[in-house]
Formats: sequence, C-alpha cells, structure tokens
Amino acid sequence: MTLKTFRARIRQSIADDNLQIALDNNAARRRDGRQAAFASLPDHEQRRLRAHIIKADVVANLDQYLNQFIDRVTANGILVHRAADADEAIRIFMEIALASGAKQARSDAELKPLLVAKSKSMLSEEIDFNHALETAGMRAVETDLGEYIVQLRGERPSHIITPAVHLRRGDVGKLFAEKLGIPYTEDIPVLTNTARKVLREIFLTADIGISGVNFGVVESGTLALVTNEGNGRMCTTIPPVHVALMGIERLVPSLGDLALFLSLLARSATGQKLSVYTSLINSPLPGQTRHLILLDNGRFALQASPLAESLFCIRCGACLNACPVFRETGGHAYGSIYPGPIGSVISCALVDPQLAYLAQASSLCGACKEACPVDIDLPGMLLCVRSGHSPQKPQTKIKEGVGIHPAVKIGLTGYRLAAASSGLFAFFQGLGGLLSRVYSPRRSYMHLPDWTGWGYSKDFPRLDVHPFRSHWGKIVQHVENKPIRLQESPKPLDPESRPPGKSLPDRFAEELSALGGHAYIVSGKELPARLAEFMESKKIDRVLVDDEGAGFVTGIPTLRQPDPSVRAGVTGALAGIAETGSLLLTSGAGETLKASLLPEIHVVVLKASRILPTLTDALAMPEVGAVAAGVVITGPSRTADIEMTLTIGVHGPGELHVFLIDDSMPV
Amino acid sequence: MTETVQLFITCLIDSFFPHIGEAMVNVLNRAGVKVDFPSAQTCCGQPAFNAGFRSTAVPMARHTIRVFEKTTGAIIIPSGSCAAMVRHGYLELFKDDPAWLERARALSLRVFEFTEYLVDVCGVTGLSARWSGKLTYHPSCHLLRSLGVDRQPRALLAAIKDAEIIELPEREDCCGFGGVFSVEHPELSAEFLKRKIANLDKTGSPTLVVADTGCLMHIQGGLARQGKNQRVLHIAEVLNNQ
Repeated sequence: MTLKTFRARIRQSIADDNLQIALDNNAARRRDGRQAAFASLPDHEQRRLRAHIIKADVVANLDQYLNQFIDRVTANGILVHRAADADEAIRIFMEIALASGAKQARSDAELKPLLVAKSKSMLSEEIDFNHALETAGMRAVETDLGEYIVQLRGERPSHIITPAVHLRRGDVGKLFAEKLGIPYTEDIPVLTNTARKVLREIFLTADIGISGVNFGVVESGTLALVTNEGNGRMCTTIPPVHVALMGIERLVPSLGDLALFLSLLARSATGQKLSVYTSLINSPLPGQTRHLILLDNGRFALQASPLAESLFCIRCGACLNACPVFRETGGHAYGSIYPGPIGSVISCALVDPQLAYLAQASSLCGACKEACPVDIDLPGMLLCVRSGHSPQKPQTKIKEGVGIHPAVKIGLTGYRLAAASSGLFAFFQGLGGLLSRVYSPRRSYMHLPDWTGWGYSKDFPRLDVHPFRSHWGKIVQHVENKPIRLQESPKPLDPESRPPGKSLPDRFAEELSALGGHAYIVSGKELPARLAEFMESKKIDRVLVDDEGAGFVTGIPTLRQPDPSVRAGVTGALAGIAETGSLLLTSGAGETLKASLLPEIHVVVLKASRILPTLTDALAMPEVGAVAAGVVITGPSRTADIEMTLTIGVHGPGELHVFLIDDSMPV
Repeated sequence: MTETVQLFITCLIDSFFPHIGEAMVNVLNRAGVKVDFPSAQTCCGQPAFNAGFRSTAVPMARHTIRVFEKTTGAIIIPSGSCAAMVRHGYLELFKDDPAWLERARALSLRVFEFTEYLVDVCGVTGLSARWSGKLTYHPSCHLLRSLGVDRQPRALLAAIKDAEIIELPEREDCCGFGGVFSVEHPELSAEFLKRKIANLDKTGSPTLVVADTGCLMHIQGGLARQGKNQRVLHIAEVLNNQ
C-alpha cells in the first residue's frame, strides 16, 4: 500500500456512515469499560509501572530469557521450533502437519483436506498463515466469533481484539444468511448460536488446533492463553495436535509476573477483571502432541533499534480504542494487520518497511500512551519512526521526515533558515504580515484553498503586522509588590474507601454473580441433596465428571469420557479466587478440562477454605507449574464480537454453578 | 526581591497573537514577577522535530539553547507543546550528542509553562481577575499529557470572579491540530475539529479557554470557517481581564 492509497482509504472510512457509527460506539464503550475496570484496582498506576519495568528487563535481556524459556518448555515435553521469518514458520508448520497426517494414516487422507481449527492469533495474521494453509490444500477455520465472521467475509481483522468491530449486526445477519443458509436475522444470540453449532463440529473433528500465546512464563515454561469464548481451550485441548505460535518477545519471567500482566490485559482489552478463560499450558495432555513455533520476523531488529520499547506491547488494543485517528479510520485503512498507534510503530518493522508513513497519521495527542497498560511511550516511538529511526533493510532506506509532502519539507527548511537569526525572522514576520493583509484585507482569519491542507476545514490567522518582538520595548511593567498568594485549602486525603473486610467466600460469590455465574454456600452434609435437587431442576439425567466430581454426584449416571449428548459436567477445582470470582482447574485427575468445557452447564464443587484472595496467590500454588495444563475460569463463556453486545454461552458452558462447601466450622 | 523571569514568547504568539504576550506580561507582573525578553529568540524547532526532520530541528534547538543560556532564572513559555519540546524533546534530539545534551538538560530544568509557573512556583491563583459569563476549558494534549499540567489552569480559572466555568464534554479529546498533522492529514484533522466544535456548542459557552496557541488558532480557524461566533482565548487573556 502507498501513502496515496492510505489517504484514499481514510477518506473512504470517513464517508462510510455505518463504519463511523460502529467506531464511535467502540470508542465510547471501550473507554468507559476500561476506566471502570481500572477503578477496581486501586494500585493500577504502580502495576503499570511494574509491568513496564518487567518488560524493559525482558526485552533488554531477550536472548537470555528466551534460551531459559526454550529449555524449560522443551523439558516439559513440548516440541519447540524457532523461525526467523514468516516463510520459515510456515515451512515448519507444514512439516508438522505432514507428519501428523501420516501418523493418523487415515484412509480418506487423500480425499479430505487436513482440518485446522484456529484460535485467534495476531501472529498468524502477521505471517498471513491462513493464505499459506489454503494454498497447501488445508482447510483452516477461525473459531473466535469475530475472526470467523471476517474470515467468512474474506477480510482481515480490523482490530487486534475485536476483529469485526467495523461491522454492525445487520452485516453479520446478511453474511450468515448468505454463507450459512440461515434465515436473515439481527438477533445476536441467534447469530452466535449458529456459529457455535458450526464451529463445535470443527473442534471435534479438527486434525490440528492452532493457537497464539499471550504470555510465555520463563520460570515454568508455561504458555498462557486467554479467550472469552472458550475457543482457545477447544483448540488446545480437543485436537490430537496443538501448535502454538508465539512472538519471541511475549515473555514474562515468573508466574507472579503473569498474574500482574493478566490483571492489566483483560482490563485494558475488554474492561474485564480477567478474561473468562486463561489456559495455562505446560505439557501435552495424554495422547496429544504439542508444538511451539517461536517467531522472530523482525523482533530482534526492533530490539536493537530505538523502537525496542514497542516490544513491551501485550496486544490489548487499548491504544486503538483511545486513538482519535483509529476512531475515524477503523483498522482496515491502515493497510497493516496491526492498526492504531502501536501498529503505526511496529508495522514498518514487522510487516512492510514501506508502512513507515503511517506514523504521520497521528496528532501526537498522547491518548495512546495514557491508555497503554505497560506505559509504552507511543508518541515518542511515532516520532522515532518519523525521523527514519525504524529498523531498516539496506534496500529500503527510510529517510527522515518519512511520509511528509515535499512542499511541507521545503517549507520547514525555509522556516529553519528564517529562524537562524532574529533579524531575518523579524523581516519575514513583517513580510508575512503585509502579504496576509493583501490576501485578506478585511477578515482576520484567511480562507486558504483546500490544497493547502489547512484550508480544507479551517481558516488561517493573518500574521500581525506588529509582532510581539516589535512592541517589547514599549511595554511598561508595573510589578506588584504584594501579590496574592495561593489560598488553596489542603486537599482532603482520600479516605480508605475499602469496604469492611468481607469473607473470601462472600467476595467470591459476589464477583461470580456479577459475571453471570452462581455460587451456593452449603454444608458438607447437605451437598448431595442440593446437587441432586439442582440436577433435577435442570432436567439433567447424566453428567460428565472428573475424579473429584465423581465423588460428589449421587443418584444419576456419571460418564468419564466426553459425549456430545451430555448437558452438564461436574468437576472439582484446585482453588477459587475471591478478587475476580475465578476458579483454578487443573488436568491430571480425570477429564477435568473437557468436563468443564464441552457441556453447556458446568458445576464446580469446592471447599470454601480453598478460596484464595488473589490471582497472584492462586498462580503461586506449586501445582500450576507442575500439571500438564490448567485453566482459570472467570464466569460463563461469553463474546461481545458483534456490536460489543454481550452474549453468554459461546463455545464453553453458558452456565457456571459453584457449590461452596462451608468447612469453616469444625465438624 | 523581585524575581525576574525570561519570556520565551513562542513563534505563534510572536507572529500571530502579540496581544497574548502583552497580557501574559501583565499577569506575571501582577503575580509579582518582572519579565525579560531575550530578543534573539526565534522558534524552538518543534514543527520540524515533530515532522521527523531532526536535522532541521537541531540548529533551531541549538539557537534557542544559546539564546537562553545567556540569561538566568526561570524561562516561561505560554504553550504546553513548546514547553514540552524544550523540557523533553531536546533531550531526545540531543541524546547522542553528550555536550549538547548537557546544555539541553540544564535548560530543561529552567523551563516552565505559564500556568504551571504561576500556580506551582509563585503559588498564585487569585489574580483578582474578573469575567462575566460562561467559560469552558480545553486541555491541550501536550500540556495535559506531556507536562501533566491540568490542576494549575483549572485552579486559575476557578479563582476568576463572576465566571461560570462549564465542563467541556469529551474535553481531553485532541482538537486535531498536531502541527504538521493538520496539513498532512487534513481529513482526519477536520473530523477531530468538527467534534471539538460540536462539544463546544453543547456547553453554550461563548468563550473557550486554552493554554496553547496551536489549539487556539486551529479551533478559532474552524469556528471562522463555520461562521460561528464563539471566541477562543488564551488563558493569559482571561486572567488579564479585571
């Protein structure tokens, strides 16, 4: 894409009323949501600075952290591959796909294309992965609702977090009517449920699941992946082969750091305290093969450039939502898979060096830096790109002032010459004053033509024929002897506004119900009766259980292996988290991960004493780094990919019920 | 003893709005401060720096440093973005030039934006200013986010007798000036400006107060083009009204 097409696309976006309504809604809702979510975190400024410092350390010592991480991941039994660029990443994947296809030795392998279920990954967009898979004769299906929509439309995502933010419900209705053969509807739950049904089949039959990685934890080799819908869990749990794609910079040193970054990511991205599902993957599940492809693709070059700070990015999209330019253009106008302020910094390094001109599309207002949860100096980075300081390849030398019209460059050079001495400066001021009076004898603001840029929407002031420097000698100063000094009342100190200490189970129950989940505090004695009553009220005649769940359910048949007709799953949990109403589940004792994912109702039984105050406490449990995989569940599965309208129950369970056994009293 | 400060008038006030400079001198005098004007000053170099032409900005920054190095005392700048340029931008501009970096650092410590100096250094808010009618305030981006100056202009406005201060909706949104941005991306700039003026209309205030002349000429220019009657004033002009 060239600068000229960029400008044409900007004009197109501004003229598109449908897009403008969608973008205005996005800006307002996301900003309010983010602010409300951070209000629940009194120390968010400190967290932001801590996150910045941690990332600065990781990026400065990237090689060392990366090697430690690779050692750990390899020791955990995941096959690690390193790719220098897009081509190499794709080649590695093709080898994995061929090997797994051969292993399956399917009789219809020649007829049926290999089916790949993809969870949302910006990295795969960066390397145009889907295109490569299709060219190789595979069928790749995006499973995040927003990504699925844009894939069906033959588009690329227009936002890092909400790929279909540029569309309205009517657009999706028309698309589904045309491509999926359902009657036209604007009912978002109906549209979501349609996608759910189609994609469920994909999850259950996929040969390979692909996911991104939000954070790689160096100390434990854990791959952390967040999704709201549950598609990330599906892609990493159900297919026999899981391939994770990860940018080499997405590292955090410890699980404690992970807790910090998770607390920032969801708040910044979607205004949630925590995403619904945080998958914590250490090693392959029984019968599964896991691969990790680590991609450089220009990141080491960024690290060595003045733009190194851009590698602190956790891809939350907050800078896009805060940016007044993105609000006008949407994502597609940028011509890069990374739009918005961060995109205008990194696209020239990761996508195409020619995209450096994107950095001029900013008024440097700084709303992006203010919104960034890692405090990246985005305006400073944009200035670096403008001055030609982006990582460069010899054949694409970027000059300073990239993207600036030659006439403006001449003007700025002329201005420098005039400003070299005050005499010359005063001369041109006088000349300008006279000329502007000739141009506009009556109006003090001149109507300049459109082509000047300025004249497109505003008038320009006349220069004064008597600039300030010419009156300076005439100004008489009367300096006040006793000026009035500040009479500000001292600021009232913020009273400790924390509510009186609630018990952890109460806090947990409150947070969970705010998310649409349900918590019931019961005694150990009444649990069996209460559970039976619950199953009856939901007309459930069979349940899927893990080892722990099996011990609680009485009176109805229990299954250990997934069966699509079973509507409820009963599991235990390693811990509850009071601050977010979350549950930490781990693999290893039966099919906990599947029983908590596949059925539409998930029931958890947990001792109240196992509720911990914070996510940091939960991730500090030794099991987190030791099990094959775990998941932090925060409410029922949800999406807001169509017009940011919250819809409950996508790929994961739409209902979450937690029975808390009150074990505070000695029996 | 009376304090003497150095006035860095900024090229926009110097060339387009000299009366703002005079108002500023009066207000500083009322705060008990004498003002000096090093007449060799020209432009800080921000337009070239922001456009990415660092080699063009360097001689302008050096000129400014040389001029003000010859003086002593605080340097007062009636513009958030120019003050941010000298305080932060120069350090970036000279980051690979140790000798000039040292000189830039020394200068950056002496620089204050006008309202910041009045409130934080002089400890003044009540300047016996008077304004009959409504006022609304647009916080300029660099003043607000690069310098973190917001409390100060608000305190000064709140102390103006008889003035009714109205909150501007979406006040922290950029007006679309952004230096060369306003000519390089006229369509985007126009949309920001439209929204800013629509928000100004919502306040019903005939007067919009700013502390940065870039925003002033941009928003006033938009109002002039749309044939609207609201006026945009620099905060020094409002504080100078008795």
